[in-house]
Amino acid sequence: MLQLWRVLHAGTRNFMRNAWLSTAATAVMTITLTIVVISFISNSALTSTIKGVTDKIDVSIYLNDNVTSAQLTQFQQALQNDSNVKSVSYRSKDQALAIYKAENKNNETVLQGLQFAGNPLPASFQIQAKNPKNLQSIVAIANQPPYQSMLDPTAPPSYSGQNKDTINRIVRVADFFKSGGLIASIVFVIISTLIIFNTIRMAIFTRREEIEIMKLVGATKWFIRGPFIFEAALYGIIAAFIALAFSYSLLLGGGPKLSSYIDVQSTIMFFRSYPALVILGELVIGICIGAFSSMMAMSRYLKL
Amino acid sequence: MILFDRVTKVYPNQMVALSGLNLHIQPKEFVTIVGASGAGKSTLIKLLTREEVHTSGKIIVGGLDYDTITSRDVPLVRRRIGVVFQDFKLLQGRRVGENVAFALEVSGARNREIKRSVPKMLQLVGLASKEQAFPSELSGGERQRVAIARALIRQPKILIADEPTGNLDPKNAWEIIELLLKINRFGTTVLLTTHNKEIVNALKRRVITINRGRIIKDEEQGRYTLEGGK
Repeated sequence: MLQLWRVLHAGTRNFMRNAWLSTAATAVMTITLTIVVISFISNSALTSTIKGVTDKIDVSIYLNDNVTSAQLTQFQQALQNDSNVKSVSYRSKDQALAIYKAENKNNETVLQGLQFAGNPLPASFQIQAKNPKNLQSIVAIANQPPYQSMLDPTAPPSYSGQNKDTINRIVRVADFFKSGGLIASIVFVIISTLIIFNTIRMAIFTRREEIEIMKLVGATKWFIRGPFIFEAALYGIIAAFIALAFSYSLLLGGGPKLSSYIDVQSTIMFFRSYPALVILGELVIGICIGAFSSMMAMSRYLKL
Repeated sequence: MILFDRVTKVYPNQMVALSGLNLHIQPKEFVTIVGASGAGKSTLIKLLTREEVHTSGKIIVGGLDYDTITSRDVPLVRRRIGVVFQDFKLLQGRRVGENVAFALEVSGARNREIKRSVPKMLQLVGLASKEQAFPSELSGGERQRVAIARALIRQPKILIADEPTGNLDPKNAWEIIELLLKINRFGTTVLLTTHNKEIVNALKRRVITINRGRIIKDEEQGRYTLEGGK
Protein backbone atom coordinates (compact mmCIF):
# COMPACT_ATOMS: atom_id res chain seq x y z
CA MET A 1 0.00 0.00 0.00
CA LEU A 2 2.82 2.33 0.97
CA GLN A 3 4.68 1.35 -2.21
CA LEU A 4 1.56 1.99 -4.30
CA TRP A 5 1.21 5.41 -2.72
CA ARG A 6 4.86 6.18 -3.53
CA VAL A 7 4.38 5.07 -7.14
CA LEU A 8 1.27 7.29 -7.51
CA HIS A 9 3.11 10.16 -5.86
CA ALA A 10 6.09 9.78 -8.23
CA GLY A 11 3.74 9.57 -11.23
CA THR A 12 1.97 12.78 -10.21
CA ARG A 13 5.27 14.55 -9.62
CA ASN A 14 6.53 13.51 -13.07
CA PHE A 15 3.28 14.75 -14.57
CA MET A 16 3.75 18.16 -12.96
CA ARG A 17 7.44 18.35 -13.83
CA ASN A 18 6.78 17.78 -17.54
CA ALA A 19 4.03 20.38 -17.56
CA TRP A 20 4.18 21.17 -21.28
CA LEU A 21 4.40 17.62 -22.50
CA SER A 22 1.67 16.59 -20.07
CA THR A 23 -0.59 19.40 -21.27
CA ALA A 24 -0.10 18.43 -24.90
CA ALA A 25 -0.76 14.75 -24.21
CA THR A 26 -3.83 15.59 -22.12
CA ALA A 27 -5.15 17.92 -24.83
CA VAL A 28 -4.91 15.24 -27.52
CA MET A 29 -6.51 12.74 -25.19
CA THR A 30 -9.30 15.26 -24.46
CA ILE A 31 -10.00 15.68 -28.18
CA THR A 32 -10.06 11.91 -28.61
CA LEU A 33 -12.39 11.31 -25.69
CA THR A 34 -14.65 14.19 -26.77
CA ILE A 35 -14.95 12.62 -30.21
CA VAL A 36 -15.70 9.27 -28.59
CA VAL A 37 -18.47 10.82 -26.43
CA ILE A 38 -19.94 12.87 -29.27
CA SER A 39 -19.88 9.82 -31.49
CA PHE A 40 -21.68 7.90 -28.74
CA ILE A 41 -24.21 10.71 -28.28
CA SER A 42 -24.93 11.07 -31.99
CA ASN A 43 -25.10 7.31 -32.39
CA SER A 44 -27.61 7.02 -29.59
CA ALA A 45 -29.62 10.08 -30.72
CA LEU A 46 -29.71 8.91 -34.34
CA THR A 47 -30.66 5.37 -33.32
CA SER A 48 -33.59 6.56 -31.25
CA THR A 49 -34.65 9.02 -33.98
CA ILE A 50 -34.55 6.32 -36.64
CA LYS A 51 -36.40 3.94 -34.38
CA GLY A 52 -39.11 6.55 -33.88
CA VAL A 53 -39.44 7.02 -37.62
CA THR A 54 -39.18 3.41 -38.71
CA ASP A 55 -41.68 2.17 -36.18
CA LYS A 56 -44.19 4.04 -38.26
CA ILE A 57 -43.33 2.22 -41.45
CA ASP A 58 -45.53 -0.71 -42.26
CA VAL A 59 -46.47 -2.71 -45.30
CA SER A 60 -50.06 -3.04 -46.40
CA ILE A 61 -51.02 -6.05 -48.44
CA TYR A 62 -54.47 -5.63 -49.98
CA LEU A 63 -56.70 -8.65 -50.46
CA ASN A 64 -59.48 -9.31 -52.94
CA ASP A 65 -63.00 -9.87 -51.67
CA ASN A 66 -63.07 -13.60 -52.44
CA VAL A 67 -60.52 -14.72 -49.86
CA THR A 68 -61.90 -17.27 -47.38
CA SER A 69 -61.15 -17.18 -43.71
CA ALA A 70 -59.08 -20.41 -43.98
CA GLN A 71 -56.95 -18.79 -46.67
CA LEU A 72 -56.62 -15.69 -44.52
CA THR A 73 -55.26 -17.69 -41.60
CA GLN A 74 -52.80 -19.52 -43.86
CA PHE A 75 -51.59 -16.27 -45.44
CA GLN A 76 -51.24 -14.52 -42.08
CA GLN A 77 -49.29 -17.50 -40.73
CA ALA A 78 -46.92 -17.44 -43.69
CA LEU A 79 -46.28 -13.74 -43.14
CA GLN A 80 -45.71 -14.19 -39.43
CA ASN A 81 -43.17 -16.93 -40.10
CA ASP A 82 -40.93 -14.47 -41.92
CA SER A 83 -38.00 -13.55 -39.75
CA ASN A 84 -38.26 -9.86 -40.60
CA VAL A 85 -41.89 -9.55 -39.53
CA LYS A 86 -42.55 -8.01 -36.15
CA SER A 87 -46.36 -8.10 -36.23
CA VAL A 88 -49.22 -8.78 -38.65
CA SER A 89 -52.70 -7.45 -38.10
CA TYR A 90 -55.75 -8.04 -40.24
CA ARG A 91 -57.91 -5.09 -41.25
CA SER A 92 -61.32 -6.09 -42.61
CA LYS A 93 -63.22 -4.20 -45.30
CA ASP A 94 -65.49 -2.69 -42.63
CA GLN A 95 -62.57 -1.53 -40.48
CA ALA A 96 -60.89 -0.03 -43.54
CA LEU A 97 -64.07 1.85 -44.35
CA ALA A 98 -64.44 3.07 -40.78
CA ILE A 99 -60.84 4.36 -40.77
CA TYR A 100 -61.31 5.99 -44.16
CA LYS A 101 -64.49 7.69 -42.97
CA ALA A 102 -62.82 8.90 -39.83
CA GLU A 103 -59.91 10.32 -41.86
CA ASN A 104 -62.36 12.13 -44.14
CA LYS A 105 -65.03 13.08 -41.65
CA ASN A 106 -64.88 16.72 -42.72
CA ASN A 107 -65.06 15.95 -46.40
CA GLU A 108 -68.78 15.79 -47.26
CA THR A 109 -68.20 14.93 -50.90
CA VAL A 110 -66.18 11.86 -50.09
CA LEU A 111 -68.68 10.69 -47.49
CA GLN A 112 -71.57 11.13 -49.84
CA GLY A 113 -69.72 9.33 -52.61
CA LEU A 114 -69.12 6.39 -50.31
CA GLN A 115 -72.84 6.06 -49.69
CA PHE A 116 -73.39 5.48 -53.39
CA ALA A 117 -70.36 3.28 -54.02
CA GLY A 118 -70.95 0.92 -51.10
CA ASN A 119 -67.58 -0.24 -49.68
CA PRO A 120 -64.89 -0.10 -52.36
CA LEU A 121 -62.03 -0.56 -49.89
CA PRO A 122 -60.23 -3.92 -49.79
CA ALA A 123 -59.45 -5.89 -46.65
CA SER A 124 -55.69 -5.89 -45.86
CA PHE A 125 -52.85 -7.13 -43.73
CA GLN A 126 -50.93 -4.39 -41.87
CA ILE A 127 -47.42 -5.65 -41.35
CA GLN A 128 -44.69 -4.09 -39.17
CA ALA A 129 -41.16 -5.04 -40.08
CA LYS A 130 -38.28 -5.56 -37.71
CA ASN A 131 -35.84 -4.07 -40.18
CA PRO A 132 -37.57 -1.43 -42.25
CA LYS A 133 -34.63 -1.36 -44.64
CA ASN A 134 -35.58 -4.76 -45.95
CA LEU A 135 -39.26 -4.82 -46.76
CA GLN A 136 -38.80 -6.67 -50.03
CA SER A 137 -38.80 -10.09 -48.38
CA ILE A 138 -42.27 -9.44 -46.99
CA VAL A 139 -43.61 -8.36 -50.35
CA ALA A 140 -41.97 -11.42 -51.92
CA ILE A 141 -44.04 -13.74 -49.72
CA ALA A 142 -47.23 -12.10 -50.94
CA ASN A 143 -46.14 -12.57 -54.52
CA GLN A 144 -45.68 -16.33 -54.14
CA PRO A 145 -48.19 -18.52 -56.05
CA PRO A 146 -50.60 -19.64 -53.27
CA TYR A 147 -50.99 -16.09 -51.98
CA GLN A 148 -50.72 -14.11 -55.18
CA SER A 149 -54.26 -15.10 -56.14
CA MET A 150 -55.58 -13.62 -52.89
CA LEU A 151 -54.22 -10.16 -53.64
CA ASP A 152 -56.35 -7.30 -54.84
CA PRO A 153 -55.31 -6.94 -58.50
CA THR A 154 -56.02 -3.23 -58.46
CA ALA A 155 -53.90 -2.43 -55.39
CA PRO A 156 -50.32 -3.74 -55.19
CA PRO A 157 -48.66 -4.00 -51.74
CA SER A 158 -47.77 -0.55 -50.50
CA TYR A 159 -45.71 1.05 -47.81
CA SER A 160 -47.50 3.26 -45.40
CA GLY A 161 -47.17 6.87 -46.06
CA GLN A 162 -45.47 8.05 -49.18
CA ASN A 163 -42.41 8.72 -47.05
CA LYS A 164 -40.58 5.48 -47.57
CA ASP A 165 -37.98 6.99 -49.86
CA THR A 166 -37.44 9.89 -47.49
CA ILE A 167 -37.20 7.52 -44.54
CA ASN A 168 -34.73 5.38 -46.44
CA ARG A 169 -32.66 8.44 -47.13
CA ILE A 170 -32.71 9.39 -43.43
CA VAL A 171 -31.62 5.87 -42.52
CA ARG A 172 -28.75 6.05 -45.02
CA VAL A 173 -27.59 9.47 -43.76
CA ALA A 174 -27.79 8.26 -40.16
CA ASP A 175 -25.78 5.16 -41.02
CA PHE A 176 -23.18 7.37 -42.66
CA PHE A 177 -22.86 9.52 -39.54
CA LYS A 178 -22.73 6.49 -37.28
CA SER A 179 -19.89 4.84 -39.19
CA GLY A 180 -18.21 8.24 -39.62
CA GLY A 181 -18.25 8.69 -35.85
CA LEU A 182 -16.81 5.23 -35.31
CA ILE A 183 -14.02 5.80 -37.83
CA ALA A 184 -13.18 9.23 -36.34
CA SER A 185 -13.07 7.67 -32.86
CA ILE A 186 -10.71 4.91 -33.99
CA VAL A 187 -8.46 7.36 -35.85
CA PHE A 188 -8.17 9.64 -32.83
CA VAL A 189 -7.59 6.75 -30.44
CA ILE A 190 -4.64 5.75 -32.66
CA ILE A 191 -3.35 9.36 -32.81
CA SER A 192 -3.47 9.81 -29.05
CA THR A 193 -1.86 6.41 -28.51
CA LEU A 194 1.05 7.51 -30.71
CA ILE A 195 1.38 10.89 -29.00
CA ILE A 196 1.34 9.40 -25.51
CA PHE A 197 3.80 6.76 -26.67
CA ASN A 198 6.16 9.56 -27.66
CA THR A 199 5.54 11.58 -24.51
CA ILE A 200 6.43 8.61 -22.33
CA ARG A 201 9.42 7.83 -24.55
CA MET A 202 10.72 11.34 -23.93
CA ALA A 203 9.97 11.03 -20.22
CA ILE A 204 11.99 7.80 -20.10
CA PHE A 205 14.82 9.55 -21.93
CA THR A 206 14.89 12.59 -19.64
CA ARG A 207 14.70 10.43 -16.55
CA ARG A 208 17.21 7.78 -17.60
CA GLU A 209 19.62 8.83 -14.86
CA GLU A 210 16.92 8.51 -12.22
CA ILE A 211 15.93 5.11 -13.63
CA GLU A 212 19.55 3.96 -13.44
CA ILE A 213 19.75 5.05 -9.80
CA MET A 214 16.48 3.32 -9.02
CA LYS A 215 17.87 0.09 -10.46
CA LEU A 216 21.08 0.60 -8.56
CA VAL A 217 19.37 0.91 -5.19
CA GLY A 218 17.23 -2.14 -5.82
CA ALA A 219 13.87 -0.81 -7.00
CA THR A 220 11.59 -3.48 -8.40
CA LYS A 221 10.55 -3.32 -12.04
CA TRP A 222 7.05 -2.21 -11.12
CA PHE A 223 8.34 0.47 -8.81
CA ILE A 224 10.23 1.91 -11.80
CA ARG A 225 7.48 1.36 -14.39
CA GLY A 226 4.54 2.27 -12.16
CA PRO A 227 5.03 6.06 -12.22
CA PHE A 228 5.17 6.08 -16.05
CA ILE A 229 1.94 4.08 -16.29
CA PHE A 230 0.23 6.28 -13.73
CA GLU A 231 1.46 9.45 -15.44
CA ALA A 232 -0.09 8.30 -18.73
CA ALA A 233 -3.26 7.16 -17.00
CA LEU A 234 -3.46 10.62 -15.46
CA TYR A 235 -3.66 12.14 -18.96
CA GLY A 236 -6.66 9.86 -19.53
CA ILE A 237 -8.33 10.67 -16.21
CA ILE A 238 -8.07 14.44 -16.60
CA ALA A 239 -9.05 14.27 -20.27
CA ALA A 240 -12.09 12.11 -19.44
CA PHE A 241 -13.53 14.72 -17.09
CA ILE A 242 -12.86 17.63 -19.46
CA ALA A 243 -14.31 15.72 -22.42
CA LEU A 244 -17.44 14.75 -20.48
CA ALA A 245 -18.04 18.26 -19.16
CA PHE A 246 -17.58 19.69 -22.65
CA SER A 247 -19.78 17.14 -24.40
CA TYR A 248 -22.52 17.28 -21.82
CA SER A 249 -22.73 21.07 -21.94
CA LEU A 250 -22.76 20.84 -25.73
CA LEU A 251 -25.61 18.35 -25.50
CA LEU A 252 -27.59 20.52 -23.07
CA GLY A 253 -26.89 23.72 -25.01
CA GLY A 254 -27.46 22.30 -28.48
CA GLY A 255 -30.18 19.82 -27.53
CA PRO A 256 -33.18 22.18 -27.77
CA LYS A 257 -32.05 23.44 -31.18
CA LEU A 258 -31.58 19.92 -32.47
CA SER A 259 -34.70 18.43 -30.95
CA SER A 260 -36.87 19.26 -33.96
CA TYR A 261 -34.51 17.22 -36.16
CA ILE A 262 -33.28 14.40 -33.98
CA ASP A 263 -34.28 12.85 -30.70
CA VAL A 264 -31.61 14.00 -28.19
CA GLN A 265 -33.91 13.79 -25.20
CA SER A 266 -33.39 10.07 -24.71
CA THR A 267 -29.59 10.58 -24.76
CA ILE A 268 -29.84 13.36 -22.17
CA MET A 269 -32.02 11.03 -20.10
CA PHE A 270 -29.39 8.31 -20.41
CA PHE A 271 -26.68 10.70 -19.17
CA ARG A 272 -28.89 11.74 -16.25
CA SER A 273 -29.96 8.23 -15.33
CA TYR A 274 -26.54 6.60 -15.45
CA PRO A 275 -23.96 9.30 -14.67
CA ALA A 276 -21.67 6.81 -12.91
CA LEU A 277 -21.74 4.46 -15.88
CA VAL A 278 -20.95 7.28 -18.33
CA ILE A 279 -18.09 8.64 -16.20
CA LEU A 280 -16.71 5.17 -15.53
CA GLY A 281 -16.89 4.22 -19.20
CA GLU A 282 -15.03 7.36 -20.23
CA LEU A 283 -12.43 6.90 -17.47
CA VAL A 284 -11.82 3.30 -18.49
CA ILE A 285 -11.28 4.30 -22.12
CA GLY A 286 -8.91 7.14 -21.12
CA ILE A 287 -6.93 5.06 -18.64
CA CYS A 288 -6.66 2.15 -21.06
CA ILE A 289 -5.35 4.34 -23.90
CA GLY A 290 -2.81 5.95 -21.53
CA ALA A 291 -1.65 2.77 -19.84
CA PHE A 292 -1.44 0.83 -23.09
CA SER A 293 0.65 3.51 -24.87
CA SER A 294 2.90 3.89 -21.88
CA MET A 295 3.49 0.15 -21.58
CA MET A 296 4.24 -0.01 -25.30
CA ALA A 297 6.83 2.79 -24.93
CA MET A 298 8.41 1.07 -21.92
CA SER A 299 8.64 -2.29 -23.62
CA ARG A 300 10.71 -0.60 -26.34
CA TYR A 301 12.72 2.00 -24.46
CA LEU A 302 12.91 0.97 -20.82
CA LYS A 303 15.14 -2.05 -20.47
CA LEU A 304 15.31 -3.21 -16.88
CA MET B 1 31.20 -13.60 1.88
CA ILE B 2 32.07 -13.44 -1.84
CA LEU B 3 33.07 -16.52 -3.78
CA PHE B 4 33.92 -16.63 -7.48
CA ASP B 5 34.68 -20.14 -8.67
CA ARG B 6 36.14 -20.38 -12.20
CA VAL B 7 33.89 -17.54 -13.37
CA THR B 8 33.96 -16.68 -17.06
CA LYS B 9 32.14 -13.85 -18.73
CA VAL B 10 31.97 -13.64 -22.49
CA TYR B 11 30.02 -10.70 -23.95
CA PRO B 12 27.78 -11.21 -26.97
CA ASN B 13 30.49 -9.71 -29.22
CA GLN B 14 32.73 -12.63 -28.13
CA MET B 15 34.86 -10.35 -25.97
CA VAL B 16 36.15 -12.39 -23.01
CA ALA B 17 36.04 -10.09 -19.97
CA LEU B 18 36.72 -12.66 -17.25
CA SER B 19 38.34 -15.98 -17.83
CA GLY B 20 38.09 -18.71 -15.17
CA LEU B 21 38.43 -16.21 -12.32
CA ASN B 22 38.75 -17.58 -8.78
CA LEU B 23 38.23 -15.21 -5.89
CA HIS B 24 37.38 -15.64 -2.24
CA ILE B 25 36.69 -12.66 0.03
CA GLN B 26 36.04 -13.21 3.73
CA PRO B 27 33.47 -11.24 5.73
CA LYS B 28 34.73 -7.88 7.08
CA GLU B 29 37.69 -7.83 4.68
CA PHE B 30 38.86 -4.64 2.97
CA VAL B 31 39.97 -5.60 -0.51
CA THR B 32 41.33 -3.35 -3.22
CA ILE B 33 41.10 -4.48 -6.81
CA VAL B 34 43.47 -2.91 -9.29
CA GLY B 35 43.88 -3.42 -12.98
CA ALA B 36 44.31 -1.46 -16.18
CA SER B 37 41.25 -0.29 -18.11
CA GLY B 38 39.58 -3.28 -19.73
CA ALA B 39 41.20 -5.74 -17.30
CA GLY B 40 37.79 -6.92 -16.06
CA LYS B 41 37.21 -4.87 -12.89
CA SER B 42 33.93 -3.35 -14.09
CA THR B 43 32.67 -6.73 -15.27
CA LEU B 44 33.49 -8.19 -11.86
CA ILE B 45 31.36 -5.49 -10.19
CA LYS B 46 28.55 -5.84 -12.72
CA LEU B 47 28.42 -9.57 -12.01
CA LEU B 48 28.20 -8.87 -8.28
CA THR B 49 25.32 -6.41 -8.74
CA ARG B 50 23.74 -8.69 -11.35
CA GLU B 51 23.83 -6.05 -14.08
CA GLU B 52 25.50 -8.80 -16.09
CA VAL B 53 25.11 -12.56 -15.86
CA HIS B 54 28.19 -14.81 -15.86
CA THR B 55 28.67 -17.20 -18.74
CA SER B 56 30.03 -20.09 -16.66
CA GLY B 57 31.37 -20.88 -13.20
CA LYS B 58 29.80 -20.19 -9.85
CA ILE B 59 29.17 -16.97 -7.92
CA ILE B 60 28.03 -17.13 -4.29
CA VAL B 61 27.50 -13.89 -2.36
CA GLY B 62 26.41 -13.93 1.29
CA GLY B 63 25.32 -17.54 0.91
CA LEU B 64 23.24 -16.78 -2.19
CA ASP B 65 24.05 -18.83 -5.27
CA TYR B 66 23.66 -16.52 -8.29
CA ASP B 67 22.69 -19.50 -10.48
CA THR B 68 19.44 -19.81 -8.55
CA ILE B 69 18.23 -16.21 -8.71
CA THR B 70 15.50 -15.11 -11.10
CA SER B 71 14.93 -11.65 -12.56
CA ARG B 72 12.42 -11.03 -9.77
CA ASP B 73 15.14 -11.55 -7.17
CA VAL B 74 17.57 -9.06 -8.74
CA PRO B 75 16.26 -6.00 -6.82
CA LEU B 76 16.61 -7.99 -3.59
CA VAL B 77 20.20 -8.89 -4.48
CA ARG B 78 20.98 -5.21 -5.10
CA ARG B 79 19.50 -4.19 -1.78
CA ARG B 80 22.02 -6.46 -0.04
CA ILE B 81 24.96 -4.76 -1.72
CA GLY B 82 25.78 -1.04 -1.46
CA VAL B 83 27.51 0.51 -4.46
CA VAL B 84 29.18 3.89 -4.96
CA PHE B 85 30.54 5.19 -8.23
CA GLN B 86 33.06 7.70 -9.47
CA ASP B 87 30.28 9.97 -10.80
CA PHE B 88 28.23 9.72 -7.55
CA LYS B 89 24.90 9.08 -9.37
CA LEU B 90 22.83 11.39 -7.19
CA LEU B 91 19.39 12.74 -8.06
CA GLN B 92 20.12 16.39 -8.76
CA GLY B 93 16.57 17.54 -8.16
CA ARG B 94 16.41 16.08 -4.67
CA ARG B 95 17.94 17.23 -1.42
CA VAL B 96 20.70 15.31 0.32
CA GLY B 97 18.29 13.77 2.82
CA GLU B 98 15.89 12.77 0.04
CA ASN B 99 18.68 11.16 -1.95
CA VAL B 100 19.58 8.98 1.00
CA ALA B 101 15.94 8.28 1.81
CA PHE B 102 15.35 7.20 -1.78
CA ALA B 103 17.16 3.90 -1.24
CA LEU B 104 14.83 3.15 1.65
CA GLU B 105 11.70 4.28 -0.19
CA VAL B 106 12.19 1.83 -3.05
CA SER B 107 12.54 -1.04 -0.63
CA GLY B 108 9.25 -0.20 1.06
CA ALA B 109 10.55 1.21 4.34
CA ARG B 110 8.05 3.13 6.46
CA ASN B 111 8.27 6.91 6.65
CA ARG B 112 8.93 6.76 10.38
CA GLU B 113 11.91 4.48 9.81
CA ILE B 114 13.21 6.75 7.04
CA LYS B 115 12.96 9.82 9.27
CA ARG B 116 14.85 8.04 12.00
CA SER B 117 17.69 6.47 9.99
CA VAL B 118 18.54 9.17 7.42
CA PRO B 119 19.91 11.77 9.92
CA LYS B 120 21.89 9.03 11.69
CA MET B 121 23.50 7.94 8.46
CA LEU B 122 24.28 11.53 7.44
CA GLN B 123 25.93 11.99 10.79
CA LEU B 124 28.05 8.87 10.22
CA VAL B 125 29.37 10.25 6.92
CA GLY B 126 29.84 13.73 8.40
CA LEU B 127 27.02 15.53 6.57
CA ALA B 128 24.54 16.07 9.39
CA SER B 129 24.27 19.78 8.59
CA LYS B 130 23.71 19.28 4.85
CA GLU B 131 20.45 17.31 4.91
CA GLN B 132 18.50 20.10 3.20
CA ALA B 133 21.18 20.98 0.61
CA PHE B 134 20.98 20.03 -3.06
CA PRO B 135 23.85 17.98 -4.57
CA SER B 136 24.87 20.96 -6.73
CA GLU B 137 25.63 22.94 -3.55
CA LEU B 138 28.12 20.33 -2.32
CA SER B 139 31.80 19.68 -3.04
CA GLY B 140 32.86 16.50 -4.84
CA GLY B 141 33.90 14.86 -1.58
CA GLU B 142 30.60 15.72 0.05
CA ARG B 143 28.67 14.32 -2.90
CA GLN B 144 30.56 11.07 -2.61
CA ARG B 145 29.69 10.97 1.09
CA VAL B 146 26.01 11.31 0.17
CA ALA B 147 26.41 8.40 -2.24
CA ILE B 148 28.08 6.35 0.51
CA ALA B 149 25.30 7.24 2.94
CA ARG B 150 22.74 6.10 0.38
CA ALA B 151 24.64 2.86 -0.23
CA LEU B 152 24.84 2.14 3.50
CA ILE B 153 21.37 3.18 4.62
CA ARG B 154 20.01 -0.33 4.18
CA GLN B 155 22.92 -1.72 6.18
CA PRO B 156 24.33 -3.99 3.47
CA LYS B 157 26.95 -6.54 4.38
CA ILE B 158 29.02 -5.57 1.34
CA LEU B 159 29.97 -2.12 0.04
CA ILE B 160 31.42 -1.85 -3.45
CA ALA B 161 33.28 1.39 -4.15
CA ASP B 162 34.00 1.66 -7.86
CA GLU B 163 36.69 4.32 -8.33
CA PRO B 164 35.13 6.45 -5.60
CA THR B 165 38.03 8.90 -5.54
CA GLY B 166 38.44 9.25 -9.30
CA ASN B 167 36.87 12.71 -9.41
CA LEU B 168 38.28 14.03 -6.14
CA ASP B 169 41.35 16.01 -5.13
CA PRO B 170 43.87 14.19 -2.85
CA LYS B 171 42.48 15.67 0.36
CA ASN B 172 38.88 14.71 -0.41
CA ALA B 173 40.04 11.35 -1.76
CA TRP B 174 41.72 10.54 1.54
CA GLU B 175 38.67 11.57 3.50
CA ILE B 176 36.58 9.17 1.47
CA ILE B 177 39.09 6.34 1.98
CA GLU B 178 39.10 7.03 5.72
CA LEU B 179 35.32 6.88 5.71
CA LEU B 180 35.47 3.51 3.92
CA LEU B 181 37.94 2.23 6.50
CA LYS B 182 35.63 3.39 9.28
CA ILE B 183 32.70 1.58 7.65
CA ASN B 184 34.87 -1.51 7.35
CA ARG B 185 35.73 -1.32 11.07
CA PHE B 186 31.98 -1.40 11.79
CA GLY B 187 31.87 -4.80 10.07
CA THR B 188 31.02 -4.12 6.42
CA THR B 189 33.03 -5.95 3.76
CA VAL B 190 34.51 -3.29 1.45
CA LEU B 191 35.52 -3.90 -2.13
CA LEU B 192 37.42 -0.96 -3.59
CA THR B 193 38.59 -0.47 -7.14
CA THR B 194 41.01 2.34 -7.81
CA HIS B 195 43.83 3.58 -10.01
CA ASN B 196 45.29 5.64 -7.19
CA LYS B 197 48.75 4.21 -6.49
CA GLU B 198 49.33 6.26 -3.33
CA ILE B 199 46.08 5.15 -1.76
CA VAL B 200 46.68 1.46 -2.55
CA ASN B 201 50.19 1.57 -1.14
CA ALA B 202 49.18 3.50 1.97
CA LEU B 203 46.26 1.20 2.79
CA LYS B 204 48.43 -1.88 3.36
CA ARG B 205 45.41 -4.10 2.87
CA ARG B 206 44.72 -7.03 0.57
CA VAL B 207 45.28 -6.08 -3.08
CA ILE B 208 44.08 -8.17 -6.00
CA THR B 209 45.55 -7.33 -9.39
CA ILE B 210 43.55 -8.31 -12.45
CA ASN B 211 44.84 -8.49 -15.99
CA ARG B 212 42.95 -9.71 -19.04
CA GLY B 213 40.19 -11.24 -17.00
CA ARG B 214 42.46 -13.20 -14.65
CA ILE B 215 43.93 -12.57 -11.22
CA ILE B 216 47.65 -12.18 -11.65
CA LYS B 217 48.48 -11.18 -8.08
CA ASP B 218 46.71 -11.51 -4.74
CA GLU B 219 48.66 -10.17 -1.73
CA GLU B 220 47.58 -9.71 1.87
CA GLN B 221 49.41 -6.40 2.23
CA GLY B 222 49.69 -5.58 -1.42
CA ARG B 223 51.13 -2.71 -3.36
CA TYR B 224 50.18 -1.05 -6.62
CA THR B 225 52.42 -2.63 -9.20
CA LEU B 226 50.80 -1.58 -12.47
CA GLU B 227 52.31 0.90 -14.87
CA GLY B 228 50.75 4.35 -15.00
CA GLY B 229 49.16 4.53 -11.58
CA LYS B 230 48.50 8.03 -10.23
